[in-house]
Amino acid sequence: MTRLCTVACLAPLAAILWAQQFKFNLDRLAAKASNNVDVSVSGSTLKFAARFLDNSDPDEAKVKKLIGGLDGIYVKSFEFKTEHAWTEADLESIRTQLHTPEWERMLGYKSSEDGETDEIYVRTENKKISGVAIIACEAKSVTVVNIAGVIDLDSLAELGGHFGVPKLEKTPGHKAP
Amino acid sequence: MTGLATAGQALDFDELIGAHQSMVFSLAYHFLRDRESAEEVAQEVFLSLHRNLAAIQSPQHAAFWLRKVTVQRAFDEGRRRKRRPQVALEDIAEPAAAARPGDPLLGETLRRLIATLADAPRMVMILRYQEDLDPMDIAELLEMPVATVKSHLQRSLALLRGKLERRGLGEH
Amino acid sequence: MDWLDRELGQALNRKNPSPDFAERVRWSLHVQKHQPAHGLQWWLATAAAFVSVAGAGGIGYRQHQGEVARQQVMQAFRIAGASLNHIQTQVREVRR
Repeated sequence: MTRLCTVACLAPLAAILWAQQFKFNLDRLAAKASNNVDVSVSGSTLKFAARFLDNSDPDEAKVKKLIGGLDGIYVKSFEFKTEHAWTEADLESIRTQLHTPEWERMLGYKSSEDGETDEIYVRTENKKISGVAIIACEAKSVTVVNIAGVIDLDSLAELGGHFGVPKLEKTPGHKAP
Repeated sequence: MTGLATAGQALDFDELIGAHQSMVFSLAYHFLRDRESAEEVAQEVFLSLHRNLAAIQSPQHAAFWLRKVTVQRAFDEGRRRKRRPQVALEDIAEPAAAARPGDPLLGETLRRLIATLADAPRMVMILRYQEDLDPMDIAELLEMPVATVKSHLQRSLALLRGKLERRGLGEH
Repeated sequence: MDWLDRELGQALNRKNPSPDFAERVRWSLHVQKHQPAHGLQWWLATAAAFVSVAGAGGIGYRQHQGEVARQQVMQAFRIAGASLNHIQTQVREVRR
C-alpha cells in the first residue's frame, strides 16, 4: 500500500511563532504506520489561511470563526495495518507532559473490548482556557491534537460530525466500521 | 518513469486530466460528500496516474484505470475519516419541506440518503448512476460478484423508494 | 427507466472540481520533482519552486500559498473535529 505522508508545516519563511504546547514524540509510531498525517499550522498561518476560507461554505465559515482565538493547531494521525501496533508506552511521553499543573484531564474513555482509549485535556492560564489536547486511540489508529488558544469545543465537535455527512445519532446495533 | 520530461508526454497527461477530472472528482465527491476531501483524492489519483503513465495502453484503459484507483482511494479516505457513526437508512431525519420529482431538494435528499449507505452499496449506486455502468462493469471494477452488485442495487433502490414513497413521492 | 432512476441520475451527475484543479496537480508534480530531504533545504527548495512557477506566470504566488494554507487548515480541523465528535459519541453511548 502506498504510504501517504502529508507533511505540512506552513508559515511565512520570515518568522515562525511556534505555539505548540507539548512535544508529540511520536516518531516510533510514524515508523510503524501505514498512513501518516502530520499537519502543523501556526497562529500566523491560521490568520493568513482565514482570508482564503469561503464564507459561503458552511464548514469553512465555521472554521473561520473557530480560528479567531487560536495560536496554532497541531495534528498527528497514524493508521496501522494491524491491531495493537501502538501501546500505552508510545503515548507515555505525551501524558507525562500533560500531567502538569496547567493541564487538567477533562474526559477519559476506555474500552478494552474495542481497544480504544480517548482523552481530552484542557490547559488553563490565569484561570482562562489556553489550550486543548486530544488523544484518540482506536485499534488501528492513533490521533493526537494540540489546539493552542481559546476554542469552542462544541463547535469543533459539530464540525467533525458533519464534514460531508449529516450529523446523526448512532442507533443501537449499528457499530461504526 | 520520467516526470514532465517531454512535451508530448506532458500533453497526453494534461489531456487525461482535462478529459477525466470531472469523473474522478465526482466519484470521490459523491462517495465522501466532502468537496475538499474529494479534491485531495482526485489530486492523489492523478499524481498516481502520472507515476504509472507508461503502463497505460489506451484512452479506454486510462478511463478504467482512473475509475478503479479513484474507487480504491475513496474507500481508503472514507475509512480514514470514518469517525462518524453509520446509521440505518430508515432513521435518517426528514427535511422540513417535502421534495417533488424534478425539485433540486429531492436531489439533495437522494444524495444524503445515498451517503448513509455502507461503503460497498454506496459506491455501487454511484457507479451505476453517475457513470451509467452496468452491473458487470461495476463487478469488475469493485472485484465483487455480479450477483452481489445486483443485490446491492436492488436493496438500495428498494430502501430509497420506500423512504421517498412514505413521504408522498411516487411515480408520475 | 422509472422516475427514481431519472432522479438518481440527475442527483449523481458529474460535478467539476475547482477551476484551478489541473494547475494544482501540475504544481504538485513540480514540487515533488524538486523535493529534497526535509528540513531547511526542503523549505528553501519549496520556496524556490514557488517563485519559479510564479515567475513563469503559471500561478499567482500568494493566491496559491493561501489555497495551500486553506487546505491544510481544513484538514487539521477536520481531523480534530472528527476525533472530538467520535469521543463525544462514545461517551454519550456509555451514559445511556
